[in-house]
Amino acid sequence: MTLAPSLINLDTLAAGKSGTVVHVAPTNGDGGESADLARRLMELGFVPGEKIRMLKRGMPGGEPLAIKVGNATFALRRYEAALVAIQPE
Amino acid sequence: MGVTEKLAQAISHAPMIALLGNPNCGKTALFNRLTGSRQKVANYAGVTIERKEGHCLSPAGHPYRVLDLPGAYSLTAHTPDEAITRDVVGGLRANDGSPDVVVCVVDATNLRLNLRLVLEIQRLGLPMVLCLNMVDVAKKRGIEIDADQLARELHMTVVETVAVQSGGEKALLRALDDMWPVVPVKPRPLAAIDAVSVEDTQREVRRILSVVAKNVHKSDDRSEQIDNVVLHPVAGPVILAVLMFLIFQAVFTWAAVPMEMISGGVEQIGVLLSEHMADGVLRSLLVEGIIGGVGSVLVFLPQILILFFFILILEDCGYLPRAAFLLDRLMGGVGLSGRAFIPLLSSFACAIPGVMAARTIQNPRDRLVTIMIAPLMTCSARLPVYALVIAAFIPEREVWGAVSLQGLILFCLYFAGIISAMGVAWFMKRSAGAKAKQALMMELPSYHWPNLRNLVIGLWERAKIFLMRVGTVILTLMVLLWALSSFPGAPAGATHPPIYYSIAGMLGRALEVIFAPIGFGWEICIALVPGMAAREVAVGALGTVYALSQKGDDLATSLTPVLASSWSLATALSLLAWYVFAPQCLSTLSVVRRETGHVRYAFYMAGYMFALAYSASFITYHVARALGA
Repeated sequence: MTLAPSLINLDTLAAGKSGTVVHVAPTNGDGGESADLARRLMELGFVPGEKIRMLKRGMPGGEPLAIKVGNATFALRRYEAALVAIQPE
Repeated sequence: MGVTEKLAQAISHAPMIALLGNPNCGKTALFNRLTGSRQKVANYAGVTIERKEGHCLSPAGHPYRVLDLPGAYSLTAHTPDEAITRDVVGGLRANDGSPDVVVCVVDATNLRLNLRLVLEIQRLGLPMVLCLNMVDVAKKRGIEIDADQLARELHMTVVETVAVQSGGEKALLRALDDMWPVVPVKPRPLAAIDAVSVEDTQREVRRILSVVAKNVHKSDDRSEQIDNVVLHPVAGPVILAVLMFLIFQAVFTWAAVPMEMISGGVEQIGVLLSEHMADGVLRSLLVEGIIGGVGSVLVFLPQILILFFFILILEDCGYLPRAAFLLDRLMGGVGLSGRAFIPLLSSFACAIPGVMAARTIQNPRDRLVTIMIAPLMTCSARLPVYALVIAAFIPEREVWGAVSLQGLILFCLYFAGIISAMGVAWFMKRSAGAKAKQALMMELPSYHWPNLRNLVIGLWERAKIFLMRVGTVILTLMVLLWALSSFPGAPAGATHPPIYYSIAGMLGRALEVIFAPIGFGWEICIALVPGMAAREVAVGALGTVYALSQKGDDLATSLTPVLASSWSLATALSLLAWYVFAPQCLSTLSVVRRETGHVRYAFYMAGYMFALAYSASFITYHVARALGA
């Protein structure tokens, strides 16, 4: 999947920065499991148009991620967040 | 027909209302508020997910049965918990039947997330009431919700509730009375939910919110400020470690006074009975078997309650998921999900709820590994054994200023369990080969003050479970053990205490062959046998073994000095090491079999734990001896 130059995957967003969800999609290749994850992410509120903010990144290695979406905060691992493409602010 | 029978009959025919909502929406607090102590905790048929049902009476005098469904983000189930919720609401569970009214509980401060589930359930066509819970918090934050407008948009009754406040449930009961009499409706097939896509549902939620609510974006700044400290890369882990350490210190120091009162009371009863009964088999059974045995286990109730006091508070105020967040890297390093933290933490109380809590883990292999290592977490049943041995062999003094040495040793034992669990998990993941990614996806709910009522109900549940165990399994085993240790009696001219010649003595002496290399004498071996049924029984068994071994009338004196004088330090340390890995109590093994669906996993577990325990004790014993202990 090629992204427009301004879009980034949520897992690369720095702590304290905000953005807007553009789309949520399973990455290429690993089939059902990612599709399942993508659906659950949307059910948790990661739907196109929602504002999100990276609150914290764990140590060491910048994982897990604490992400604010709507009024809820979720902890995600990197590969989960990588399914979410965002437009950073 | 008596009044209570009439009431029971009315309740069994009462309409069933099901509380349904996202995790962390205050659903269980509302359930506690509605039903108080009129709760029945059981399992759903065929699975071991907790089924909480209670009943209540409305102001108009109508009875209702209340079912607290497991929390769910969606009816497209991702966990076994969510599958239960889906099946009950969809009327797919033959034993439960679909609820007459679905009460959707939503967190008023987070309608954006919560309303989506409401729209999903609405497609099933069941009678519904919407509970805007935590309206007090929402108002304080400046979020304005027009409940009447929301009711018009959703075409359902909307009530405001504050589950943590006395009387906060009144509006819900009035709304239910307005629906009386409830006409049962058959739910539409679950496929109706997928008729609309997640994106479209979310769009509808946004549309509704734009009409009925103002300032929905007002977020919880205080929680964020707390998280800035609690989830800080350096401060966070330090806070977690200090917190855990303080809890274990408290378990030892705060419990001292009530424990002395209990043991003193038990001792008094024993002395009283001894004075007023003729010497004989019955007196021996009562004083040594029942009072001595059960009393020595009962004495640990304060410690178990203190441990749960902290776990329940941390859970209620929202800290536990933060601890899971902080530990996620550590867990991920050995191939576990951060979610495994909650089952593992529950295992500190007892492995059984821990094994059951592993259900929230989606990946089956991840779940299996979590189940297999859960019993390595030091459960509260091991605490009595630790406490007894530590009190007998570790001097009561302070090191580095204010740290109790006994508390420090206890902390180390807990730590040894954790480290070995991580090692076993790493080994299992490695030998399983393929490296799968582990999902986390865990909500970090807003912090709030713990609720006293929930705390009291939670502690009462724990106390009840423990006392039931003392009253049933443990009492039975104690009487059995007393019989085994009393018959046959000593032959004439015996040189050993009578128990040496009894059936238990013979069994213990036979086992001594196996356990002598790790420093266990026959007295300990006898205690290990009933310890298989329930770990804490080993203490009671030691009480019985030594009480019966003593000459003279000092039966009721506490075990501590007896152990200190009859065991070497190396034996004591070896027993502590044994108990870190101690082979399973039978009830845990039976739960493992039920949860995994295979008896072989129960055998694997018992086998690997026995091997670990034996090796650890062997090394400890011989190293301690070499060092002159």
